[in-house]
Amino acid sequence: MKRKFSQRTEDSTFDLNLAPMLDIIVSIVPMLLLSVAFVQVTVIDTPVPQAVEKAIAKQDNKDATQILLHVSKKEGFRFTITEKGSSKDIVVPLKGTDLDLDKLHAESIALKKAYPDIFRLELNPDESIPLDNIVAVMDAIRQLRPTEGKLTFNDVESGKPVETNLIFPDIVFGNVAGG
Amino acid sequence: MARRGGFRKYMDKRSPSTFKIQITSMVDMFVILLVFLLKSYSTSPVQITPGKDMTLPASTSIKDPTDVLKLMVSKTGIFVDDKKIVDLKEGSLDVKDVEANDTQFIRALYTELDQQATKSRDIASKNETVEFDGKVIMQADKDLPYDILRKVMYTSMMAGYSDVKIAVLSKGQ
Repeated sequence: MKRKFSQRTEDSTFDLNLAPMLDIIVSIVPMLLLSVAFVQVTVIDTPVPQAVEKAIAKQDNKDATQILLHVSKKEGFRFTITEKGSSKDIVVPLKGTDLDLDKLHAESIALKKAYPDIFRLELNPDESIPLDNIVAVMDAIRQLRPTEGKLTFNDVESGKPVETNLIFPDIVFGNVAGG
Repeated sequence: MARRGGFRKYMDKRSPSTFKIQITSMVDMFVILLVFLLKSYSTSPVQITPGKDMTLPASTSIKDPTDVLKLMVSKTGIFVDDKKIVDLKEGSLDVKDVEANDTQFIRALYTELDQQATKSRDIASKNETVEFDGKVIMQADKDLPYDILRKVMYTSMMAGYSDVKIAVLSKGQ
């Protein structure tokens, strides 16, 4: 009653029934097609400081360090750091006729290392600067690139050093409220 | 009769009429499609579709938009929730649309935004779960100069919308 070898080999071949799998996929695909986002839109927070609030903040924080970034097509970038009543300028010149975003990024890291507790930056672009350039400037000064490691600052409450990839995440348009 | 008998013979000789469709390749194709769709599936509760005649700037920002008032500034006009408020000619405002004594102030835009703010404040006063926080998402063409955007932001700030969020196309990291 032994089974023959040839019989066994014939039994082991079979067709996988793919029809139910196809049914499931066909049901899922239209659902995904409806909710798919081919273009992902995100947002950048750019609160506008109101004139009164700005004046009060300025009065309260006379000694606090403030960093202002002026963007112009003639000069390039100019950081103005106001600290204890005095101010100093750091200029990042144009690269040819274009804005030098790489140098701006490097300069903002150096500035962050000098002032690790400052997260707010006031952005003052010239009237002729297009939105595309403003967004690129914001990207360059907002955070470190993935390959650049981390920056450290001391936590206000615990006093312990904390690592972050943020440079100046709180960017406000300083020259809107002025009218 | 002979003919009919011949046809029956022919039908009997033929293989049975049931046949199998080869669906393996079709399943392969659907699986690839499924993976691609799952990769671009968005979990964001609010979807923003950029306007027809505008290109949004690209950014590395990953912050999802929230459901707030939508302001659109294209080269042809300024829109509040898809309703055209002010006409623009190649991204420039007409002199009559700007206040004479305050060149940053766009009267028509202020009137519309003020109405929207009043409506939102009324809803907030009657419904405790709703709060008017002055948030607005601004979609603007990437080539528009800061001059026009500044005027729009200034006017929206005057109407109570001081928390402006700029809509951008995500380019990842």
